[in-house]
Amino acid sequence: MSSDRVSAMDTSATAPQALGAGRGVSAWLDRHSSKVFILPAVIVILAFSIFPLIVSAYLSLTRFRLAPGGFELRWAGFRNFDRLLFGSEQYHFLGTFGAVGWFGWIVMLGGAALIIWWLVRYWISGRARVVGTIGRLITATVAFGIIVLATVTLSDGGAFGSLMVTLFYITVGCSIQFAIALGLALLCAKPIRGRSFFRVVFFMPLMVTPVGIAYMFRMLADMSKGPLEPIWSLFGFADVAWANDAWAARMVVVIGDSWQWIAFIFIVMLAALESQPRDQIEAAQLDGAGPWQVFRDVTWPTIVPVAATVMLIRVIEAFKIIDLPNVLTNGGPGIATESMTLHAFFAWRTQDLGGSAAIGYMLLFVAVVICVSFFNLVVQRQKARFT
Amino acid sequence: MTAAAPNQPKGLYAKLFEPKRLGIMAPGTSVLVYAGLLFWTIVVLFPLYWLLVTSFKLPIDVNEGPRYLPFVDYEPSLHAWDYLLVEVGGDTFRPYVNSVIIAAISTILAVLAGSMAAYALARITYKPRFASILSFVVGIIAVIVLTVVAGVPWWLSLIVGLAIFALLARTVARRFRARLGNGDILFWMISQRILPPVIVAVPVYVMFQRIGLLDTHIAMIITYATVNLPIVVWLMHDFFLSIPRDLDESAEMDGATKFQIFFDIVLPLAKPGIAATSLLVLVLAWNEYLLALFLSSVDAQTMPLLVAAQNATRGPQWWSMSVLILLMIIPVVLIALALQRFIAKGLLVGAVKG
Amino acid sequence: MQVTLDKLSKSFGPVQVLHDLSMVVEEGEFLVLLGPSGCGKTTALRMIAGLEEVTSGRVHIGDRDVTDILPKYRDAAMVFQSYALYPHKTVAENIGYPLKLRKVPPPERDKTVREVAAQVQLEDYLTRYPRELSGGQRQRVALARAIIRRPAVFLMDEPLSNLDAKLRVHMRAELKHMQNTLGTTTIYVTHDQVEAMTLAHRVAILNHGRLMQFDQPKTIYRDPANLFVASFIGSPPMNMVDGNLSNGEFTGPGFAHTLGKDLSVGPAVIGFRPEDCSVVAAGNGLIPAEIYSNELIGDHTLVTCELHDSSAAPHTVTVKMDKDFEAEMGAQIAIAIDPAHLYFFERESGNRVRV
Repeated sequence: MSSDRVSAMDTSATAPQALGAGRGVSAWLDRHSSKVFILPAVIVILAFSIFPLIVSAYLSLTRFRLAPGGFELRWAGFRNFDRLLFGSEQYHFLGTFGAVGWFGWIVMLGGAALIIWWLVRYWISGRARVVGTIGRLITATVAFGIIVLATVTLSDGGAFGSLMVTLFYITVGCSIQFAIALGLALLCAKPIRGRSFFRVVFFMPLMVTPVGIAYMFRMLADMSKGPLEPIWSLFGFADVAWANDAWAARMVVVIGDSWQWIAFIFIVMLAALESQPRDQIEAAQLDGAGPWQVFRDVTWPTIVPVAATVMLIRVIEAFKIIDLPNVLTNGGPGIATESMTLHAFFAWRTQDLGGSAAIGYMLLFVAVVICVSFFNLVVQRQKARFT
Repeated sequence: MTAAAPNQPKGLYAKLFEPKRLGIMAPGTSVLVYAGLLFWTIVVLFPLYWLLVTSFKLPIDVNEGPRYLPFVDYEPSLHAWDYLLVEVGGDTFRPYVNSVIIAAISTILAVLAGSMAAYALARITYKPRFASILSFVVGIIAVIVLTVVAGVPWWLSLIVGLAIFALLARTVARRFRARLGNGDILFWMISQRILPPVIVAVPVYVMFQRIGLLDTHIAMIITYATVNLPIVVWLMHDFFLSIPRDLDESAEMDGATKFQIFFDIVLPLAKPGIAATSLLVLVLAWNEYLLALFLSSVDAQTMPLLVAAQNATRGPQWWSMSVLILLMIIPVVLIALALQRFIAKGLLVGAVKG
Repeated sequence: MQVTLDKLSKSFGPVQVLHDLSMVVEEGEFLVLLGPSGCGKTTALRMIAGLEEVTSGRVHIGDRDVTDILPKYRDAAMVFQSYALYPHKTVAENIGYPLKLRKVPPPERDKTVREVAAQVQLEDYLTRYPRELSGGQRQRVALARAIIRRPAVFLMDEPLSNLDAKLRVHMRAELKHMQNTLGTTTIYVTHDQVEAMTLAHRVAILNHGRLMQFDQPKTIYRDPANLFVASFIGSPPMNMVDGNLSNGEFTGPGFAHTLGKDLSVGPAVIGFRPEDCSVVAAGNGLIPAEIYSNELIGDHTLVTCELHDSSAAPHTVTVKMDKDFEAEMGAQIAIAIDPAHLYFFERESGNRVRV
């Protein structure tokens, strides 16, 4: 008995005190750590996403009016949406519909055929599920709607509304950005001198505030006082005012946007190129593959998942474009460069809170369908091939 | 089996574009590659150069067609710098400090809360009841309806909302067994990034107005931190997954609490991810325009608004704008240079597996 | 085809990793480059493949000087340690890729892929992806991708090191059989001496970027050129005892051995293999020692003996004895050695002193 006690004391003298079950704040925190870790984020996101969503939903169904001593909200049902889709704001949101020529009909029918073929292929593949079918039907409907809308607004006498302008910025802008950024990343992945210099320089545009970029490009794109004036004069464009031409103005917005975002895609694609397994490339080179074959058969399949993810991020952010068209062109000429966010902002500025919220909801709907489709149909599939 | 190795080709094309060995470029390739790199360097740097020279121009130098070289084409003047930094120095300084405070604190908060949540989702299994979440949403709806429609003071409706949530969670929610998983929580958090800020702006504007926080630092900080949280969760989640779980478990055996494990072991290992994510979030907060337009007017005005304000009734003040944009770029570029070696690696882990 | 290396050197900045490596690999030969990690063997292989720039020296494959041409014109196939399979291609696409690059028409390509796959027992896996295969199967795919080209030379960079022990032994036999059937010149890099001894027609041993010995496995084992080769080859390794060699007599801790020849080299090392010596009763034999431990391995017993060493570090010597050998730990014994199997080396240079 006494020897037991001695040995017990011996060990406690040399070994540090075992950690007890503990009391006090830190022990309480530790016991509830699983909740403490995640709750701040959950609560904040819940409060700031669910709450505005519900308020916006309510606002979009009302008409806002300033009243003595504040404001009043009058129930309007779906009138705000009705106005956007079929009523007085249709030209602004969907665009002006032109007369569809034979070419337009071919495009629409061709688009419809492609979409139906895509759906049928899914159903006969044997992998069809109920959820997958519903998701694909929604995607197909929206895709067909966009094709029809694009055709009618591009036909004679038609004009883009803010929805098509936004989609134009996204499709044209993001494709240009991806192509150039990938090209630059491939150049930088070559055995060149001064790679870190180029990496830093090419990354810089991401640091500039979009408002600043907008003003910067307004200076640069000035045909008579901008730095490119000699070039314009040489080609006889000095008197052309791009701000008065819908397509030229849209392209200037896309160029400004691209100048900034190529930097982001570039840096991620370069990292992807630098981290791909060297063995695979060397094996292909030994087997007789030239640079193009190495790119097509080895490099590209390895970087596609990264490309898909980075483009998803880019598309998500691209839906929010506002600063550039607002500053560069103020949405003009007319409404030619107005993105949906800018459209909603203009509506808010004219006290049309209900209309603004309705546009916001339409934007949310289109963005969710496109981003979720892109995620499920492209990003997930690319990733599945590597896991 | 026939597959002889091809013979080395001869001719001009091969001479120009076929390298002698791996790891070097053929002369033709080399010319094209450097030409491409040089071209884009000009595309990136020329606009910034133009900002710099414009900031030293007098209005007359701007309005009389392009002038490229200071001292050669025109006499540089410090008038715009002098005007903005000395004459109306306070009006420039205040938004600048606002921007620094708001961007820095919101970034720290977003990265802290976001990486804690990301870590938790990477390590702990959650099974929230679907019904509990529904109860919470019902509670929030109750708060909104009471405040906006019925005109009840916001604190009172908040209490009522909480009571409804607690009541529903205790009674109704117990009967439903459906649960969600970590993947659902992660997807939900990330998907918040799709939410257009224009939807968020008006309700948040109304909310801060009700609470009386409109045009304050706190309102801006909370908003920016929340808006950027999803990005942090997204990028950091996979970074934490790439850190071996053994390290956590070993620390746990040694008696560390969850918080000690997180702050002492996991966070230092995730440094590249934290650096890259922080930089991205900082840049987004520093440059944000739309929400600032809604939520701030004077006291909490940020730099992008000041830049936009140079488009005065007298026409755009290009020289002042250039100065302000340069002032805005400098600190972020310096930070980016300092964190440069982390950026690519940090962004990649999130993007590859995200 | 013959592969000739002529004074091949490689430097990474100021560090020279390969010094004037010259050797001729005969047509159809299985050559193994053996050495500890960092000895330059993989660098040498990659220089033959064309994946690494040559600092100085020439590489010939057949009669062709290939030093300055791209890997794809060298007609060499390589199997990588990581196998370097393309994860997004099926087994059939992986194997057939070299043919696709050579624009072999698809029907012929499929036929060849099938034949080669049969050779490595992969016929049933052609539509699978690499991630759905086991380590051994991936190894076979990499092998098949090399075989299908019928190249002038196979280069293999530790191809078996990622397999578990049992599979490694199996694949080793297959590899040897296949190389024999195909009769293609093969250069194989490994750090595993058992692989080297079992596979090679000839072994080239490298250390610190220098060629230590280049000969048939049994010569390398029986007649090592220097201290490094002697201690690197053999498992358990050769016993080494420090001593002094002067006037035709080697003196070690507690013993002396007279050589038949009058030699004086000063500090020297005496070496003998565990299987060339035996434990005998104290007083007999050459070296007096004490039993330190004994381990029954199965068909034999490994006895570790401690020498009576008055100088600094205690020496131990391993003796391979019959499986029935028994002895108390700490018992005083002596070690008898067949004088024909004694090796002498200069201690400083490591050079062999031939008696």
